[in-house]
Amino acid sequence: MFASILASGLAVGAVYALIGITYNTMFATSRVMSFTAGQLGMLGGVFGSLFMLRWGMPLIVALPLVLIACAAVGVVTEFVAVRPVLKSLDQHLYVLSTLALALMIQQVAAIKWSTEPQPFPRLFGLGSGAFDEKFWLPVLALAVTVGGLEYLYRKTLVGHAFLAVAEDNFAARALGLPERGLRVASYALAGAIGGLAGFSGGELLLAFFANGALLNFYGFVPIALGGLGNNRGALIGGLALGLFQQAANFIVGGIFSSVAVFALFIIVLLAAPQGLFGHAGARRV
Amino acid sequence: MSFSRREFTLGGAALAGAAGLPKVALAQSEPIRIGWLAAMTGPSSAPAIGFDRGVQFAAAQINAAGGVKGRKIEIITRDTQGDPTKAVNATQEMISQLKVHAIWGPTNSGESLAVTPIMARAKMPNIHPCVVDSLIDTAKFPNAFRLAPSNGQWDDAVRGYCLKILKVKKIAVIGDTTGYGVSAVGASVAAFQKDGAEVVYKANIDATQPDMTPDLLRAKNAGAEVIVVWSVTTGMEARMFNTRAKMGWDVAFVGHPSLSSGEIGKLIDKPANWDKVYAVGYKSASYDGVGKLPAKSQELIDRLTKAKVELGDTLFWWVAGGYDAIALIAKAVEVSGGTGSEGITKYWNSLNKYPGYFGNYTFNDKQHNGYPTEEVVMSAASSVKNGTFALAPGYKA
Amino acid sequence: MRSETLPAQAGARATRGHASWHALLPFAVLLILSLLLPLTGNDYWALIATRAAIYWILVAGLNLIVGYAGQLAIGYVALLTLGAYTTAVLTGGKLMAPMPVWGALAAAGAVGALFGVIVGLPALRLRTFYFAMTTLGFATIVTQIALAWQSVTGGGVGLPGPDMPAPFNSAWGFYYLCLGFAVFCTLITANVARSRYGRALIALRDAEVAAEAVGISKPGLLVKVFMLAGTLAAIAGGLFASLQTYITPDAFTFDLSLLFFISILIGGRGSILGPLLGTILLTILPEIAAPLAAWATFLYAVLLLAIVLLMPGGIAALLDWRNRKPLESGRAITPRPAALAELYGQTLQARALKVQGAALAFGGLRALDGVDLEVAPGQVHGLIGPNGSGKTTMLNVISGYYQPQAGGVLLGDSPLPGNAPTKRALHGIARTFQTPRLVGEASVLQNVMMGGTVAGRASFIEAMFCLPRQLRDEREMAQRARVALRVVGLEELADVRADRLQHSELRFMEIARALMLKPCLLLLDEPAAGLSTEEILRLGALIKAVSAQGTGVLLVEHHADLIFDICDHVTVLNLGRVLAHGTPAEIRVHQEVVSAYLGA
Repeated sequence: MFASILASGLAVGAVYALIGITYNTMFATSRVMSFTAGQLGMLGGVFGSLFMLRWGMPLIVALPLVLIACAAVGVVTEFVAVRPVLKSLDQHLYVLSTLALALMIQQVAAIKWSTEPQPFPRLFGLGSGAFDEKFWLPVLALAVTVGGLEYLYRKTLVGHAFLAVAEDNFAARALGLPERGLRVASYALAGAIGGLAGFSGGELLLAFFANGALLNFYGFVPIALGGLGNNRGALIGGLALGLFQQAANFIVGGIFSSVAVFALFIIVLLAAPQGLFGHAGARRV
Repeated sequence: MSFSRREFTLGGAALAGAAGLPKVALAQSEPIRIGWLAAMTGPSSAPAIGFDRGVQFAAAQINAAGGVKGRKIEIITRDTQGDPTKAVNATQEMISQLKVHAIWGPTNSGESLAVTPIMARAKMPNIHPCVVDSLIDTAKFPNAFRLAPSNGQWDDAVRGYCLKILKVKKIAVIGDTTGYGVSAVGASVAAFQKDGAEVVYKANIDATQPDMTPDLLRAKNAGAEVIVVWSVTTGMEARMFNTRAKMGWDVAFVGHPSLSSGEIGKLIDKPANWDKVYAVGYKSASYDGVGKLPAKSQELIDRLTKAKVELGDTLFWWVAGGYDAIALIAKAVEVSGGTGSEGITKYWNSLNKYPGYFGNYTFNDKQHNGYPTEEVVMSAASSVKNGTFALAPGYKA
Repeated sequence: MRSETLPAQAGARATRGHASWHALLPFAVLLILSLLLPLTGNDYWALIATRAAIYWILVAGLNLIVGYAGQLAIGYVALLTLGAYTTAVLTGGKLMAPMPVWGALAAAGAVGALFGVIVGLPALRLRTFYFAMTTLGFATIVTQIALAWQSVTGGGVGLPGPDMPAPFNSAWGFYYLCLGFAVFCTLITANVARSRYGRALIALRDAEVAAEAVGISKPGLLVKVFMLAGTLAAIAGGLFASLQTYITPDAFTFDLSLLFFISILIGGRGSILGPLLGTILLTILPEIAAPLAAWATFLYAVLLLAIVLLMPGGIAALLDWRNRKPLESGRAITPRPAALAELYGQTLQARALKVQGAALAFGGLRALDGVDLEVAPGQVHGLIGPNGSGKTTMLNVISGYYQPQAGGVLLGDSPLPGNAPTKRALHGIARTFQTPRLVGEASVLQNVMMGGTVAGRASFIEAMFCLPRQLRDEREMAQRARVALRVVGLEELADVRADRLQHSELRFMEIARALMLKPCLLLLDEPAAGLSTEEILRLGALIKAVSAQGTGVLLVEHHADLIFDICDHVTVLNLGRVLAHGTPAEIRVHQEVVSAYLGA
């Protein structure tokens, strides 16, 4: 029983963390919290099921296609919902524009796909019990993503450019960095990460249109806990959330588990206002 | 405030209403407007999608046959998404703006609780399939009629099957965390205990919980001999079936009709996982040992098949219920000679074993639960064929 | 004619001094339209309009939090839920004897005030998005408790909403009740918004540091606003329960919470009319989309997106036609120091500032290393030194942003506590900032009026209802602000949005804001940076004139000419220590200063 809580907690936690990283990746270059993050996770599952089960593609073809499709959705997000509101960031209009786009994605999925959860294919058929692939695939995807992003940011020129834009938009532009191009690229990257979250968690969460709203919600928590913009914080925050949520499901039952999750969340935030791994605010005066 | 085209039509309607005279002439030929409150894109919208097929089919059939005394049927659909607020708005729009003559729906109990008093105030003839018992009250809501069984009737059928046919004593009751799941589990537990059974485990599970092992293990350790399920969430139900198989436990699942939803067939790891699952079903939607349906049901299926209405991904009783609802309204207009609210409710109150496709409905002044309890049976969930089922084992054919 | 149809608003208008008629016209049109709506006789429109009115009752209060204070309270459905259940439970008589609906609504308001503060308190510690998440957390918790506490809330089956007594039990009667309350909420929130409390909220949003310097205390102010918004939201909840006729937890969706929040975003920040129109728009939009049935929500989303793309600044910016007229170019700032006498009134109680042995280190960096400084009343004291020598740190110690690790600050004979910037204004210490801190969306006049916050006498309640003391406060403050603007030479620009001013004008505006306090000590942080030679001369004359009123001026500056022209005394800092001090003449020839700083 303990193994089951651990396995499912880490697995959903990894999906939450990946969605958190999706938020972070979009936020880094645009300072926008996009409500499409969770929908990308939903699309990862839906596209995966569509390509593999309905259209019969093998994994090797389907996975890249899912990532490309989700990256395209990411790019559309940037063009439609982010770019127009960048000028007035402090009015928080991005909440509205990204929410509208997220709602459109969700409704199309509800009508064109299904309002009931649809099956997701078994990818490798490896493992059973607590070591079933549906539990460790999301964790593996999380590890690969975080590792890949660390490599990108630390070792590659593009990664350095990303970091420069994330650090200081104006200075980066003054340095002659293609700030716009980098932003579009980061949205494509975020789309792929969100898609991977949904794809790797597909066996667990199924291809279900309502997963978008759910992931939006629970993907927020890891970044608040881990500190906005901090991927390692999101990783730890996500896994902690997943474990705590599953443990609470077990200990206090389904109704009170979300009460427990959010009560603890509020207490932790009040104790560590910038998130557990965030930076303290800059000098004010 | 932006002025839309709709507000102009509203002005037009007000004018027509004020003019008075033309209305009488109009009434003879104007269409019979039926409001259809459907949760089509919300999280629990499978029933509405099924009902809708029956609704559209019935309207098309009646209209093709020349309508009711020359009046066409017009179905006006609003998607409530299961949200009570949207349902309240849509209901008032149907009453005051669209001036419908009767309303079918809504399809979820939460929304129905909110709109029933509003329809009562407007004396709007209403027929719906929502199960919460308090929705039917002939004193408070004399205009509201229930087409489907109440939750109490479902509960009776499930309890009866567990205690009398399976003859088990130790029960586990599991629901989801929605309003329906919580209240249904509460009612079910109380009724089991009243009948002297021992409820050894009771839980409301978050439908998104990825692994059902902990809850099923607890139920098993508590000695449960049957698991009663009250939920509309097919994903969660499929996970429970898969987990049961992994645990190598041969306990039976008995409960909500969604246990037999065709969606579950796609979500289970192997077909055998769906065995020993018994869902609430209906005589009209059950085939016998040789695969034969009641003649009337077969006739409807033949007609639906001919009209290319898909049955494979929905339930027969939803389609039949949607058909019956429209037919009941049409019949009421035909018999009462008009679309007046009183005439329609008076006709419905006079029904005694009205032969619908879904069931034989009986309504009178004191009883608006029209579905006969004896027609509620348990079906073998995995036996779905065109949305119909085999009777659960233990029933005499 | 307006006074006949709109007594309430006309009354408010009379009190608003220069409030121009066209600011009230849209409200008047809206009110007339809503009063005429019953002529349609269509109960559907009664329902939608009542819904809009109820939502506005909540949004009006929330607007002060989101649109004015800039706090992202995204989960306000929590308070609607709380109010709805409180009212329904109390009138239903499940917990005790049934209460009349008015009593229940009042009780809901009280519960709302309490929980408004509880839900809002994290805002004092958390910034933007983190706070948004906690409000969402509260929303989840409240809904789950409503679901689980079956004996009181009815659990998933819910409970009936309150029945209204006659004449409010008909669709239109109830509509008029909600409309009346919505008008009332519009008035009180508009009153708060236009008072010093409203200005303080915007200041906390856009220029928190400057707000502290003029004496605005964030916790005290936010708690009041949270109570007001919580009360209104909970009362809206009670009315909502009655409108719905029956409440279940699933009526209180995240979507509803977002509707409240985005009504304000669409409306625009710092506006009452914008969010009001936003609320109406968002209530009507889904109805326009409804005939599409399954595709309705999709169309609704498309319309939302269209709104953002068509009105990127929100409705308020769209309606703000006055600030689209181009300003006259080539404006010159011509201060009139003569008006200072009018601003200062009778003579100032002069007090000297003494800093003794102030020391402060950031990590290993000794920013201040035992600095003594004395600013005598009526004198201009220059503080110079190379970058990083500790000048600004010194100002921040004096104005209370930092607590020195050793030494202390005295004003007259009383010691000034550290880490208490909001207490400095009460002592008559005012300051400007290296980069001007201002509220770009407020008018120049309002920015300057913020400087007089501590002089306000009217309480929050008096401000809400625009009582006489509040009117007097406003009148006096506006008048003093105009004088202060005349002193610095910006009176022509009083009604212009501050973000349209040039950089040099902003520096003078900050001085006007500081002068509102009639300060006994004025701290100027590089006021001449970015000014033309001509402007620097005028600035110098202005500073001299201010000191002539008895104000001690501490001037941090890099322009050596200005320092030597107007200072009575100069202190030179280097690496956190006093390198030299004396008259300008002494400093000019000081060997070390010349080599370390002036010669460079």
